[in-house]
Amino acid sequence: MPRYAMVIDLNSCVGCGACDIACKNENNVPEEMHWANHMVVTTGTFPNVRYQHIPTLCNHCESPSCVRACPTKAMHQDENGIVKHDPNKCIGCLACQLADPYKVIYFNREQAHSRWQNRDPLISKGSYSPREVALAMGEPIPYYNPDRARSGDGVRRKGIVEKCSFCDHRVREGEMPWCTVACPANCRHFGDLDDPKSNVSLLLAKYPSRVLARERGTRPKVFYLRDY
Amino acid sequence: MAFTRRKFLQISVSTGAMVIGGQLGMPALKAFARSTSGAGASVGRWVSTTCQGCTTWCAAQVYVINGRAVKVRGNPHSKASGGNVCPRAHLSLQQVYDPDRVKVPMKRTNPAKGRKEDPRFVPISWDEAMDTIADRMMELRANGEAHKSIIFRGRYTFLHGNLDSALPRIFGTPNILAHSSICAEAEKVASFYTEGFWGYRDYDLAQTRYVLCWGADPVASNRMVPHAINMWGKLRDQATIAVIDPRLSATAAKAQEWLPVIPGEDSALAVAMAHVILTAGKWDRTFVGDFTDGVNRFKVGQEVPEESFAEKHTHGVVKWWNLELKDRTPEWAETHCGIPAAQIRRVALGFADAAPRAISWVSPGATMQVRGAYAAIAGHALNGLVGSVDNVGGILREMSVPTLGNPDPAAYQDEIAKKHFAFKKIDSRGNLDMPAMGAGRPGTVGILNSVPEAIINEDPYDIKLAIGYWNNFVFSCSGTTRWEEAMSKLPFFVHITPNSSEMTHFADIVLPAGHHMYEIWGFTKTKSNRFSQANLNVPSIKPIWDVRMDETEIPWMLAEKLAKRGFDNLLRFYRESFPDPETGKLPQNAEEFALAAIKFQTQPLWHSKHPDYGKAEKIKGWEEMLEKGVCNSVEHPYRTRWDNFGTKTKKFEFYSETLKDSLHQHAANHNVSVDEVLKATNYVARGELAFVPHFEPAFRRGDPKEYPFIFFEHRSRLNREGRSQNCTWYQAHKNCDPGDENWDDVVKINPADGRRLGVSNGDLVRLVSPTGAIECHVKLWEGVRPGTVGKCYGQGHWAYGRVAARDFERRIPRGGNNNDILPPESEAISGSTARHGGVTRIRIETIRTPFIS
Repeated sequence: MPRYAMVIDLNSCVGCGACDIACKNENNVPEEMHWANHMVVTTGTFPNVRYQHIPTLCNHCESPSCVRACPTKAMHQDENGIVKHDPNKCIGCLACQLADPYKVIYFNREQAHSRWQNRDPLISKGSYSPREVALAMGEPIPYYNPDRARSGDGVRRKGIVEKCSFCDHRVREGEMPWCTVACPANCRHFGDLDDPKSNVSLLLAKYPSRVLARERGTRPKVFYLRDY
Repeated sequence: MAFTRRKFLQISVSTGAMVIGGQLGMPALKAFARSTSGAGASVGRWVSTTCQGCTTWCAAQVYVINGRAVKVRGNPHSKASGGNVCPRAHLSLQQVYDPDRVKVPMKRTNPAKGRKEDPRFVPISWDEAMDTIADRMMELRANGEAHKSIIFRGRYTFLHGNLDSALPRIFGTPNILAHSSICAEAEKVASFYTEGFWGYRDYDLAQTRYVLCWGADPVASNRMVPHAINMWGKLRDQATIAVIDPRLSATAAKAQEWLPVIPGEDSALAVAMAHVILTAGKWDRTFVGDFTDGVNRFKVGQEVPEESFAEKHTHGVVKWWNLELKDRTPEWAETHCGIPAAQIRRVALGFADAAPRAISWVSPGATMQVRGAYAAIAGHALNGLVGSVDNVGGILREMSVPTLGNPDPAAYQDEIAKKHFAFKKIDSRGNLDMPAMGAGRPGTVGILNSVPEAIINEDPYDIKLAIGYWNNFVFSCSGTTRWEEAMSKLPFFVHITPNSSEMTHFADIVLPAGHHMYEIWGFTKTKSNRFSQANLNVPSIKPIWDVRMDETEIPWMLAEKLAKRGFDNLLRFYRESFPDPETGKLPQNAEEFALAAIKFQTQPLWHSKHPDYGKAEKIKGWEEMLEKGVCNSVEHPYRTRWDNFGTKTKKFEFYSETLKDSLHQHAANHNVSVDEVLKATNYVARGELAFVPHFEPAFRRGDPKEYPFIFFEHRSRLNREGRSQNCTWYQAHKNCDPGDENWDDVVKINPADGRRLGVSNGDLVRLVSPTGAIECHVKLWEGVRPGTVGKCYGQGHWAYGRVAARDFERRIPRGGNNNDILPPESEAISGSTARHGGVTRIRIETIRTPFIS
């Protein structure tokens, strides 16, 4: 079976945020959650200043502490090495969130996308309420992507956690994760670590790589090349 | 499983039904190769259209399921952007489905106008709206006052002529005010007065070895964002990137050299770099030529005999040296622009060593300044010194993609129209202090930001009616309080707009506009990567709002109403001027007109019988045009313009005979000398210096004692012009702009200044300029020079929607609008609004108690 990984070339990344936004779009992620996210770091003093933007996401670890912590096996590794979450098994205990060194797991304390349930139009009779727009579209959010529901909840229900799934619903169709497609810098690469000819294997052979919080022993499968 | 990055682009095409009135039967593009049985995989289609979130105008595609837009991507057929889009395109989904959009036409029921007044809008039918507008227009014509009206153009497509040319010409008003002068006209000065090109340049990034950005932030804003993003990693491998910007911009963060210039002092830096290149003997001999004996006489402080140098493809390099450059050492420049002499020297020599694969990229940041024209020319002249103009790895122009303009409406102008179209325009273009020279012709750039004074002072006459579309000048022009006063005074204003914006607040009739990426027909042109292209705006979704297309349907509907009142010239023009290229059929209603207009004007791209067909990529018919959405030019060649530049001498002019001509023309129009023109336009140079790139000190408003900080502003990589602030995705990712914070509007202050002021991150402060005051939060950040403070443009809406404004109903802004504190100053040679260059000083007042609404 494949062992999927992502390689992010920070030399090419310009920090535009297209990945972050495209991810929200593809996976129907509420605005306050960030399956795809980034860290920003400014170091030095004027005029010798360095700014870095490091894209982050679930590391789909080979030894995932969140999976070990989950009492119900809701958080699990699938046959492709993707750390996935089964909404039907989740009891919302948040053990995974506590165990996750990367803070990429989000909890649905309330019904997601509640702003689209707001019944107040901005201009009385001159504009629709958010709820009217969602109803007119027949979806929980107007630009709802039904393909997300091919694996797990289309919009995650209240009381469970959610996180990046490496777009498993796309990957199983032979498509790249949407952040990888949406990246205009081509800095995100996705593929099979067990295939020596995959682009990720070739890049990892060509460049030294880093992972986040290596010392935690989780063996992350999101690798960073070169410098921002 | 084997992956290819663009596997999903392998699309199959089937033909579909054609468009009928906004409902699309587009060719189906099968996006997903396989579906999971029983898992409900979507069956949608990718529709080609255009993203106009900035002026890159990218060919994009929208994934549509049952008339609903789900996601977007770059158009893989585009050779300019290579199938990439930047984050703005994704934001458009939240723009088109913004619940705060205006859903129906509305009229004002509170006659009092002002920011504090509630317009009390009530819904009306399209019929009533159009009747009301037509009545007011006919009244003006009947009273001999047709000229007392304005068409305000904002975001447009190339079908704009229906609304901003045919309508005013046939109706009879000379007042067509577009947004160009608040956009980037001063940037065009750079290439016009040196190489005769009034336009934005393309850059051969793939082959360059040095990129020198003058305020340009290509990975974040204009005018080739996706291509620049796509190339930047390669550039870091193969080239040196140097960025001149008072802020550590997104591009500066990805550069090897950051030159944090003191705002407005760019010209000092540029002439010093030219000085270094010449004294070091590093100019490009192939392009510029050489001393006849090969001995470099460019020595500090020494004049050079003109006859000792034989120029090749340039004009006046020795004159430039003698008039300006000989004393402009890096040490001299350091005292003005704040950049260490050693860095100036290093960058200049590195740039010259890369010749001719070296790009000096001049942008609005370095030119939309009160004295920005000469910074523009000086920055671009560096390209001349290294021979990168029209050359490999250098500066290019654009290629032909033949389309038709709006047909000439002259035959439909009656006597009233002719008479009133000839009235004096209300703006200040062409005045002694406002040469406003588009392509070197005095008085040809409309001075949008002079309109408030014209309305307020009724000078040269009282404006009674205005129609504006996709614009928000009350927010987007500096000196906002003048706009509020003027719009309050304007008796009748029609706003065609997606959202109820600041400008809408002063409207009498509000018409909901279709979104350019999803709900209208149109086309635009763009360029990058050595290709130019035309791409279509296509109505790709079923709108739930009762919107109409701004440049086609709305003017047609208005024309019908005018015809009912006995004035049918406009309707006849629309009806008779756009025959279907294949069938000759004429449009009979608004919806047919929209389709007729786009087919008529784009026919050279796809209609094989048009004489210009084949001058760009051959598109096989309208259906293929719709499916591809883009038509690419042939590749830009190199060195075809040398000695055929559009300048007076046909050479690349360091001594600009072209500018000399234009300035003399303007001076002659007013019977004054060129020196008097320079004085009137706030320039300090006199005499021959006016015709060479030279140093001009920064112009600033505000006494340094009262206003200790130089204020500068910049653009956001998430700004869809000023319109994405009502998108939660914008707010939730705002920290993608270096130094900025999510869900906030911050002023970036150097920590050393912060300590002196006693402010910390998150503190609420008031920024006070001689023009106005705004409130925002503090961000202490090393990416700005001490003594200067920077703030992004875009936030500070007190209207537009519930996310953009902190309190829409009570008109309380989220953060502050920079244009409230920026004075309405101009770069007068191009007529541009001078928003950059640290045009104002400010003071920072701490607010002890956070503002509670």
